[in-house]
Amino acid sequence: MKLWIKFIGFGFRTLTGLACLIIVAMLAIILGNIAIHGGPRLSWEFISAMPRAGMTQGGIFPAIFGTAALVLLMTVAVVPLGVAAAVYLHEYARQGSQVVHLVRLALANLAGVPAIVFGLFGLGFFIKFVGGGMDRVFYGGTLAFGQPCILWAALTLTVLTLPTVVVATEEALRAVPTSYREVAYAAGATRWQVVRHVVLPQSVSGILTGTILAVSRGAGEVAPIMFTGAAYYLPYLPKKLNDQFMELGYHVYVMTTQSPDIEATKPILYATVFVLLVLTFALNIVAVLVRSQIRRRLRTA
Amino acid sequence: MSAILEVQNFSARYGNQKALRDISLEVHEHEIFGIIGPAGSGKTSFLRSLNRLNELIPNFRVDGNIRFQGVDIFRPDVDLSLLRRRLGMVFAVPVPLPGSIEENLLLGSRLHGRNMDAPALIGKTLRAAYLWDEVKDRLQQSAFALSGGQQQRLCLARTLMLEPDVLLLDEPCSGLDPISTAKIEEALIELKRELTIILVTNNVMQASRIADRTALFLQGRLIECGGTQQVFINPKEKETYEYVSGRFG
Repeated sequence: MKLWIKFIGFGFRTLTGLACLIIVAMLAIILGNIAIHGGPRLSWEFISAMPRAGMTQGGIFPAIFGTAALVLLMTVAVVPLGVAAAVYLHEYARQGSQVVHLVRLALANLAGVPAIVFGLFGLGFFIKFVGGGMDRVFYGGTLAFGQPCILWAALTLTVLTLPTVVVATEEALRAVPTSYREVAYAAGATRWQVVRHVVLPQSVSGILTGTILAVSRGAGEVAPIMFTGAAYYLPYLPKKLNDQFMELGYHVYVMTTQSPDIEATKPILYATVFVLLVLTFALNIVAVLVRSQIRRRLRTA
Repeated sequence: MSAILEVQNFSARYGNQKALRDISLEVHEHEIFGIIGPAGSGKTSFLRSLNRLNELIPNFRVDGNIRFQGVDIFRPDVDLSLLRRRLGMVFAVPVPLPGSIEENLLLGSRLHGRNMDAPALIGKTLRAAYLWDEVKDRLQQSAFALSGGQQQRLCLARTLMLEPDVLLLDEPCSGLDPISTAKIEEALIELKRELTIILVTNNVMQASRIADRTALFLQGRLIECGGTQQVFINPKEKETYEYVSGRFG
């Protein structure tokens, strides 16, 4: 073989390897930086107490609680909605029909909308239109749901993460062999029974993968919730669906941009980001564990 | 013998592509009705028309008449679920569903909610499928742990759990070794005392071994239909002679 061909081969291998190295290095720098600067500020008080002294002392418990509650609410809304839409697209709708085409187009576009636009959409649609409408009809004009709150923030995130869940679920449905469906039909199953007894049980693991992705995405977004429910500072935890809430990502944002004393807030910032990463990671781990549990049950059953 | 299935001038097509042309035949009760023919001759399309399973394919269209126990199966008020239980189907490739052997057998009860006699029925159908001795101690094990031949006999048993009147078998032995094939053939010969069997097969020898009557399909047409002896030894049509003897070689 000619020397220069070998040389090009070596060069290409090095370049592609370097690209991978850069990815790993970036992540290592980010995580390392956060751990080094944020670690020392962490304490039991930091994750369990209310903020004090203009949020320069005390803890960030309301933000942790708010983030968890927000993501949980979002999951409860997005999974049924996304799975239902995917089941319709893949199991009920005639493949190649105009409706299916339109829905897929809508999903692709929804996935491409910038997060801040979802925030404004949430403000206009959920708070002003839906919430304001509810206030007029059910609350006689007094302010109840026509204001930013955890419900509208969670629903805004639901719209944001919907494409993720639908696409992942469709992928899972597609992976169920046609022969399984035929066996069920041949045994006299109706379409609903095929979905209920064959398709969905086989897709649970893929659906959970979509859920994991949605949770990861939703827990880290700030732009969609800053107009729809996240609060700068609250001395109490959200108890009702129309309460506002503190959120870790938003907390980082306000501490970065609004604090008068940068040096005092810096360690708190790092520690908050650290907690946000750990919380997202923990939510993921839970979903991964549930998924592997279900996989094992499906395999050995 | 009375006819359980009467097919009159039945044609079918996928879009513009004709799959079956003007088929007329009768299947009698308690017989093994063999359908032979080369690949693409329409055997499977015909079989899957009988339980209307081919309607899952969007552009599949049919024309003509099929009567099951005297009733037109294409009538709008036909209960499709019931029809498919009365005409139970076993596919060419064994398709155990994920889950235990028992869960596979209980597929029908899960769908149609008849759990009372299930345990007794499991023993009966597994024996009928010549599988009981091999699995009786491990009904809770995964169906995937069975060999290919055992899986296919499990699929046969699962279909028998529906207590069908007719068994539709689509090349049930195509991927199996001779011993597994022999077991299924024995099972079928026993079973025809209780029900009617329609056996689509690529294997001409199999039809000659166990079918009471045999039909030859070629390019979507019914070439000849008659007693197996007559079709194989004294065929009326030239094509039948060529197909059957070509395979005997």
